[in-house]
Parts: sequence; C-alpha cells; structure tokens
Amino acid sequence: MPEFKIQHITRYTYDGPVRDSANQIILFPIVDIYQEVLKHDLSITGNPLVDTHIDYYGNEVGSFTLSEPHDQLVISSNVIVNTHHRPLPVDDIFPEHQWDALKDLKYTVPYIDFLRLDYFEGQDDLQGIVEAEKINHETPYQVALRFCEYVYRNFEYIKGVTTVETRIDEIWKLKAGVCQDFAHMLTEMLRMVGIPARYVSGYICPNRNGMRGEGATHAWAEAFIPNFGWLGLDPTNNCIANETHVRLAVGRNFSDCSPVKGVYKGPYGHHLNVSVSVGYKDDEPEPEVNLFVDKVVKPSTSPVTTSEPAKNSYQRYLEMIQQQQQQQQQQ
Amino acid sequence: MLSRVAASFYWLSRYVERSDGILRMLKINYASSQDAIHGFTWDPVIGIFAGGDYELAGKLQNDSRAVIKYMVSDKENQNSIISIVTMARENARSVQEHISTDLWQCLNEYYHTVKDINLGVRFKKEDPISVLDVLIKQVMLYYGTAEVTMERGPGRSFMNIGKYLERAIQSIDVLMIKFNSISDNPDLITDTTYWKHLLLSLGGYEIYLKTYRDGLEAQNVLEQVILNNDFPRSVIYSVDHIQRYFNRLQNDSSLSAYQEVSFYIGKLQSRIKYTPLKTLQGAALHEFLTGIKDELYQIGNLLNERYFANS
Amino acid sequence: MQESDFFNGYKAISNVWDEMYASNLAVRSPYERVIDYLALESVEDLNKKEELAQRLFMKQGITFTVYNSGEGIEKIFPFDIIPRIITSAEWDFVEKGIKQRLTALNLFLKDIYHNQFIVKDNIVPIDVIYSCPHFLREMYQVGVPYDIYVHIAGIDLIRDENGDFLVLEDNLRTPSGVSYMLENREITKRLFPDLLPSCGVRGVNEYPTLLYKNLQSLSPRQISNPTVVLLSPGIYNSAYFEHTTLARLMGVELVEGRDLVVNNQKVYMKTTIGLQQVDVIYRRVDDEFLDPLVFKPESILGVAGIMGAYRKGNVAIVNAIGNGVADDKAIYSYVPDMIRYYLNEEPILKNVPTYRLSNPDAREFVFANINKMVVKKTNESGGYGMLMGHAASEQEIERYKQEILKAPRNFIAQPTIALSTAPCYIQGKLQPRRIDLRPYALCGPSGIEIVPGGLTRVALKEGSLVVNSSQGGGSKDTWVLTPPSPKGEVTKI
Repeated sequence: MPEFKIQHITRYTYDGPVRDSANQIILFPIVDIYQEVLKHDLSITGNPLVDTHIDYYGNEVGSFTLSEPHDQLVISSNVIVNTHHRPLPVDDIFPEHQWDALKDLKYTVPYIDFLRLDYFEGQDDLQGIVEAEKINHETPYQVALRFCEYVYRNFEYIKGVTTVETRIDEIWKLKAGVCQDFAHMLTEMLRMVGIPARYVSGYICPNRNGMRGEGATHAWAEAFIPNFGWLGLDPTNNCIANETHVRLAVGRNFSDCSPVKGVYKGPYGHHLNVSVSVGYKDDEPEPEVNLFVDKVVKPSTSPVTTSEPAKNSYQRYLEMIQQQQQQQQQQ
Repeated sequence: MLSRVAASFYWLSRYVERSDGILRMLKINYASSQDAIHGFTWDPVIGIFAGGDYELAGKLQNDSRAVIKYMVSDKENQNSIISIVTMARENARSVQEHISTDLWQCLNEYYHTVKDINLGVRFKKEDPISVLDVLIKQVMLYYGTAEVTMERGPGRSFMNIGKYLERAIQSIDVLMIKFNSISDNPDLITDTTYWKHLLLSLGGYEIYLKTYRDGLEAQNVLEQVILNNDFPRSVIYSVDHIQRYFNRLQNDSSLSAYQEVSFYIGKLQSRIKYTPLKTLQGAALHEFLTGIKDELYQIGNLLNERYFANS
Repeated sequence: MQESDFFNGYKAISNVWDEMYASNLAVRSPYERVIDYLALESVEDLNKKEELAQRLFMKQGITFTVYNSGEGIEKIFPFDIIPRIITSAEWDFVEKGIKQRLTALNLFLKDIYHNQFIVKDNIVPIDVIYSCPHFLREMYQVGVPYDIYVHIAGIDLIRDENGDFLVLEDNLRTPSGVSYMLENREITKRLFPDLLPSCGVRGVNEYPTLLYKNLQSLSPRQISNPTVVLLSPGIYNSAYFEHTTLARLMGVELVEGRDLVVNNQKVYMKTTIGLQQVDVIYRRVDDEFLDPLVFKPESILGVAGIMGAYRKGNVAIVNAIGNGVADDKAIYSYVPDMIRYYLNEEPILKNVPTYRLSNPDAREFVFANINKMVVKKTNESGGYGMLMGHAASEQEIERYKQEILKAPRNFIAQPTIALSTAPCYIQGKLQPRRIDLRPYALCGPSGIEIVPGGLTRVALKEGSLVVNSSQGGGSKDTWVLTPPSPKGEVTKI
C-alpha cells in the first residue's frame, strides 16, 4: 500500500502583463479501488474559482479564468495518493475466445473510440511490423506485452525531439521521443490488431532503480484485456503500470488528457516550466497479500436484446420518464 | 456601448478627418506650386503625412502630380487617401448597424470614388484641383450627413472626440513643421507668402484677415491657430470640443475612467489657455508644441485603455 | 397590346419540372398574374428594372466578399427579377414536412448526446456517428435549454421531374442566406409596385421578430431584458452583411469574439462602462472556432472558456454546439429512419437517394455509374469539393476516385437529380434555369415556425446544376401565396 506525496507545479511566465486567460486542468487523480486520494491541495495564482466537471472519458476536469492582468500563472497541485497493487491477468482462456470477445467490442461504446485508427503515412510499414510481432497463438495480453517491449526496444528515449503537438507520422520517422510519444505509438499498434487501447496521463513514482519519466508528468497506455479490463502498460519503462503509476486521466490521445492548458490575451510570449516531485512515504515492503477483490469489468458482448420488440428503446425511455414524473407528482 | 464599437467610431472619425486634412493640404500646395517660380517644395507635406521620408521625397522629385498621386491613390502608402478611407470604411463596416444607413452609404460612395480607376488618369490629364475638389466634397457630404442623421448617443460622442483629437494633432503638426523651418531659414519669419500658405492650408486665411488688420505676422498666426475660439481648426476649439463630447459620455463610463480622462482633458485646456504665447520663441515654442501634442496622444492612449478595453 | 417578345422561344428542358410552364407550355395558374403584369412591360422596362435591382443592392452594400489574391472584392449576389411562386397547397406540404424532419433531428441530437438509443437499436450505425468529425464528445451529457439543438435550420429542397419536393441537404449549424430572403422581397416591392398584394403573397418580414422572441426565451437568467448578442467572425466574413442586417433588425448587439470574455463560467461583453453579462448568443462562428481552449487553439474568432459557461448553463448558444453530427451528409441518409424511429411516422419529405461510399458495394456501384452521379464530401457545404460526374473529365474522375479511396467515410454519392427550372430574365429573354429552395425554420420553446418564403437559389450559368453563390449561383424572390378564397379570388391583404 504505497503512499505517495506528489507535488506538481506548472509555471507560466509571460514577457509582459497578459489578461483574460481561460484554463483547463486535468490534475485530479482517478479514484477507484486501486487508487485513493488522501489529500489534494490545489493553489493557483489569484485564487480563482475552479469549476469541475466530468468529461466524456470520465475524467474530472477543472476550469478557471484569470481576467486581471498578470505576468505569471502558477498552478500548484499537491496530492497524497494511496495506490494498491493490482494482480495481473490470469490469462487462462483460449486465445481465439479472447480475440473473438475483442471483435465483439469493435462497435460498442466506449471501445469504438479506442480502436479507431487515424490514417498516417507510416501506417503500412507499421502494419507489417505489427503483423510480424503478433504471434497467432498468443493471447491479447501476451501480444500487448510484446508490443510494449517492441516500442521500448525500437524507439529511443530522447527529450526535446518532439513536442506535445508531434504527430505519429513524425514519431514514426524519428523512432524517438518521450513517454507521450511512446504511449501514442503503443496505442496505435494495439489498435491495429483490434485491442482497444487508451492513452493515460499521470505520474510515475520512483522505485529503487529509478525510472524514465520522473520529474515530469508521465504518460503510458492501457490495453483492454478480456476478462480483466484495462491493463496499464508503460512502454517507456517496458513494464506493467501498476502501483507505482498514479493515473490522472484517460482518453484517446494526449489532447484528451492534457494536464494543463490555457489561452490568454496579450501581445507577449510565455515560458512554461513544469516540475513534478514524488516523495515515497512508504517504507514497508510492497504488499504481497491482495486485500482487494479483483473486480473485472465485464464487457457486454451480446447485442442489446429487447423483450418488447414493438417499442424501441427511445419509446421505452419516454414511458419511463412519464412514470417518474407521475411518481413525483404523487409524493 | 461595446468597447470595440466605441473604438471603431473613434477611429472611423480620425481617419475621415485625416483624409480631409490631407486633401486640403494637397489642394493648397498644388495651387502654390503654380504660383511659385522658385522655392516651392512638397517636403513639408511629405514631412507631415509620410513621416518625413526624404528618400521618398527625392524619388518624387517635387513633381506635383507624382506627389498627389502618391498621396491619394498609392495603396503602398499607409497614409494615402485610399488607405485611410479603406480603414475608415472598415471601421464603419464593423459598426454598420450603429450608424445611419445614409452615413454608411455616404462613406461607401467616398470609398468607391477614391477607388475609381479613372481617378489616376484624371490626376494625370486634368486639373488636379478639380479632382481634389471632388474628393473634398465627399468629405463635406460625409460631415453633413453625420450631422443630420447620426443618433445623438455615445457613438456620435466618440466620433467627435476622434475627429477633434485628429484635427488638433494636425494643426499642431502644421505649426511644428512651419516654425521648425524658421530655425533653418530665419528669413521666412518675415515672408508673408509663407504664412499665408500656412493659413490657407488650414482654411484660416479669411478669418485671419478679419481678425488681424496689420498684415501677416508669425506671432498672430500662431495665436490664431492655437487660441482663436472662432477658428474651427484651432487647437483650443478642438480641445474644447473634445471636452464637450467627452462630458456627454458620463453615463457610458465607469466613474474612475471618466474622472481620469476628464482630468487630463482639463489639464490640457489649462495649459493651452494659460501659456503666454507671445513670449514663446525657438526652443521654448518647440517644447510647448511638443508638450501639447504629447498630451493629446496621452488622451488618446487613455481612451484606448479605459474605454476601448485595449489595456 | 402586343405581347413582348421576351416571352417567345422559351426552351423548357425535357423531363424537367418547370415552375411556370406545364409540359404543353401552358402557364401554370399561380404565374398567370405575373405574366399578365410582365406582358405590359417592354424589354427596355425590364432591363431598367434589372439595373435598378443591381443598383439598390450595391448602394445598400448588400454584398458578399470574395477573397482573391489577398484583396477582398465585393460582389452582389446576382438577383433574378422574376419571382418564384409556391402555392399555398405546396407550402402546406413543405411546411409539414420540414416540421416533421426538424422535430426528429432535434430528438436525434438530444439522443446522440445522451442515451444513444438510436445507436443501441442499430438504426444508425455507431461508426457513422463516432467517425463523424462533428460528433463532439465535449457535448456528451450537456443539457441545452428546452432540449432544442436546432433553433435555426435551412433545409434545402429540390423538385424532381414530377414536381415532388425532395430534401437535398439539412443545414443545422449556421445556415445563411436569410437576409437575401428579406432583401429580395424589399427589392421586388420596388420593381413591381402593387403586384405583391394583388397576387396575395404572404409576407416574410416577421422573421427577425420571431427569431428575436425565440432567442430571448432561451435566457438562462430570468430577467425581463436579457442580453442577446449576435456573434460574427467579423467584417471579413462573406456573410457579414447578413450578420449586420439581422443584428439591426432584431436590435441586438453585433459582437466579435474579442468583445467577449469568460469569467467564472459566465460570458461578458466588454463595454465602455465595464463588463456586461451576456445571456444568449446567436453565433455565426463554426463550432471548431468557438472556443480556442477546447477546440482549435489557434482560433481568434472565438471566446476562450465559452464551452464551460455553456456546459454550466450560464449562457445559451444558438445553434447548439455539436449539431454537425446531424447534418453530416453521411448521416443525412438516415434521417427518414430517424423520423420513423422517434415519431413513428412516415417521412413526408423524401430524401434524394444517397450512397455512402464507406460501403464497398455502394462504392463499386457508384464508380461504375459515375457519369450519372454527384459525389460530395460529407463535411463540406456550399458546393465545395463536389464532383459532377456528367461534366467531369476522365482525369478529374480518376483523381477524385483516389481521394475517395483514402477516406471513403468522407464521401457520399447521389444520382444526378434533374432540378426543376424556373424562368429567369437573362439578356432580354426568359430562359429556364435550375433552382432549389431553402426555407428557414425557427424552433423555439413554443414550437417550430417557418416564415412563408425562403431563398430560391438559381444556377444562372446555362446548363449548370449548381446553385451555390460560390459557384455562380444567384437568387430569386420566393412567393408563398395565400390560399385561394372560395370564390376563386385572391384574398386582399
């Protein structure tokens, strides 16, 4: 049950006073049975009101404005998170059954979004590699691990060669990048073979060996494994993202999860400085005993069946609404 | 009133007023160029309206028709009539639903007249004064239409503030150019054609003759252009009108903005009224004129910041 | 009096519905009065009228701007002086059809951004929705006032060879052209004095009042005089004239993105007094430019943070954000199914048959019959990016096919429809030209209202089937007649 103390400071400095800035932050760690937030302090220049909502992907998103002239904007997020180890997939179902289960997801929400490929120039080359890497008798889980390793081995971790806007075309040509690019590459490969894959933004917490991606926000991928659910895969470190990875947001790609973004008015340029420091408060050995029941998200593989074929679901919904209103009136 | 709309009114007017100033200046100078056998130069005009680009002056070689063409229909020249009227029209377009249809049509016609390709040919072949008169008439039509049809609201106040601010700046510019030349050429101070020319280009010659019976004198010319309340292009007349129209904006202002701008307008008025003009000469005069111009710009900047939301 | 010779030699196109002439060149009854009126005029008179019309448009600045090599050129949208007439029976049919269609489209948008029943029931395939670039996940579960998404719709109708009205396209985002409906009528009043009342033509000038009433009713703040604004991309937009016209006729402020600012999830406009809260925004800025924080970050036409204010319900935006998923050309083909699904009714107005090129069989069929097809991009309008199979060269077709194969989802094809023709006054003669019809429907809390009229666009180039202004189209005044009174006489208004 490691407990992490994370300090994430985003600092924009402007060359002169700017105003009317509108900003969006996705800095609220996901809360589920593997991750609990013990404390979260957020402090922002000018103490603006932060309005939060849950976006399409289920992430908590904050937005705030700063209308008065200002020459810097500091967003300081201090989190204490408790993470729990999640047991790995058992993976004892016949591979073809698993692949079939994935096929059934292709046209269902939310998986459809995590399977969609955008056309890019290197697609044919990548398709070839993906085909070669995928061994027929392997399960999706095994293939996912293989792809994760492929990205780790074949792409060089170099800071500064890419930006947040770098497209997959360029990453493919460069064969290099940072965690964000590694994550994009892996999601693309997984989607090509029909494994739903999403992009994850978050923090990586140091272990004894030290890992790539410390000192900044980190990114990795999640693959949807039948009878298990979303499995975190960190292609930058070639490992399974588990209790040392703190998740902030999930989405199709970086821009769905961008931790901080903003727009301001003023004739001045800006400089961005991000620092992330993680304190490992836990001295105890990692838990061997799993205290938590493994709740697997079971995808519904059967098509929606209707008991009353005469009415479509929209009409049934209308009836239900009417019933609710009647109930309310009776009260 | 929307800040952007206020700004558009203000700039619309400044541009129209500037075009008026340029046209009149061109007309008078062209006429002078026909009188003077020697010594006539377009340099002061280029000095005021083309930022003193003497390389350009060299290129135009004091060719009156070339200068007029450059000042009226050269699209490369940011201060040409065509550029200015285009900008005036774009400002008007962005507030089209706030100005009277008549006024919009009037400005539209002014624009189409300047844009007319025949204009260039006419400047080459015909009497330039008649062609300039066609354009000057467009401006007068515009002012008449504005006077008759514009709603008496804040929009018109911003228009008039822009108009008089521009006018005051132009009058100061003309004085500065003329009086600066004296330091290079002291003979000019007694050259009556020189002062007559200044008055003509500001449309103030006839008033001068009525006011001062003892001939053309530099001091009197200065006094009229700065202080004559009856002369519509004098600096004090313009500043009084800035104040008059600004006062009407009280209900369309935040209290602090209103007080601040009022203060600076009042300060400028006092400075103009209570400076003993007759004692000013040479460097002191130059300093006085520069100071007034700076204060006019300061008022413009304040409006920009406090009313047009451009801080 | 001798009949003017501009009537003679009208060459109706065979197998095409002509609005004025029946197949035997007999004048259809609604046009009789117009013809009688015109018969008294000489060619010179009509030429004068045509000139007058042009002068009025130019003088009033009723122009759109075409940008060519960096310089904006103002053009008038060509106007044909002969009106297009719709009988009251035809109008009743069109009106019912559009109301039905819009009701279903609104329900569809509500559904698609909430429960997605129609997808779960496999009426509309999920990938058509999820691959649509205008399906905005940002709108998921966002409530809009009165569940109205489409407040202003321009439904493009054409008539086939039998005179039946078909829907060619739904415009549910920022349909334009309504100012031409209003101005064309004003011009006609000047051109043909007294003709309108004697023919019993219904008025259109109620439009701005109806629109304003609807806008006002959407205000999230329950105050007597909510602030309604029209958000325009600015003077360089080709429809800027329309924006100013509507703002003036409704008496609302015309604002640009830079006039607005979002503070604590509320929208304000910058005035000389300070910030003033805005309640309702009729925007003529596309979704992707509306909020640089959420959509295109480089947009300077929008307002950063406006999506947040909208999500919170602090400002109403008209039309709703995300409507593009309903007027995408690939989704268009499902609208009849939507009507059956949501309303349990048969569609009154039929669609033009449409092939979605993401379907390999359809693609093969279209490629084989490309000479009889019009191929369109699903997310473009205004006549841009179209391939007219009957007129294109081999090379053009080949190039277009390659483009289709790269992203077949982005294309649909329709058989070339013989749009109906109407007589136009061109070079001193009446000549048939192709037309369509765009009525403007307004959906408000009290229902759907359609002003009796619309914009009739006409392909002025001989033989052209494209009516868009960007492609050499013009327009006509569109008359909807009052029902004939029992005695067969026209009601006097």
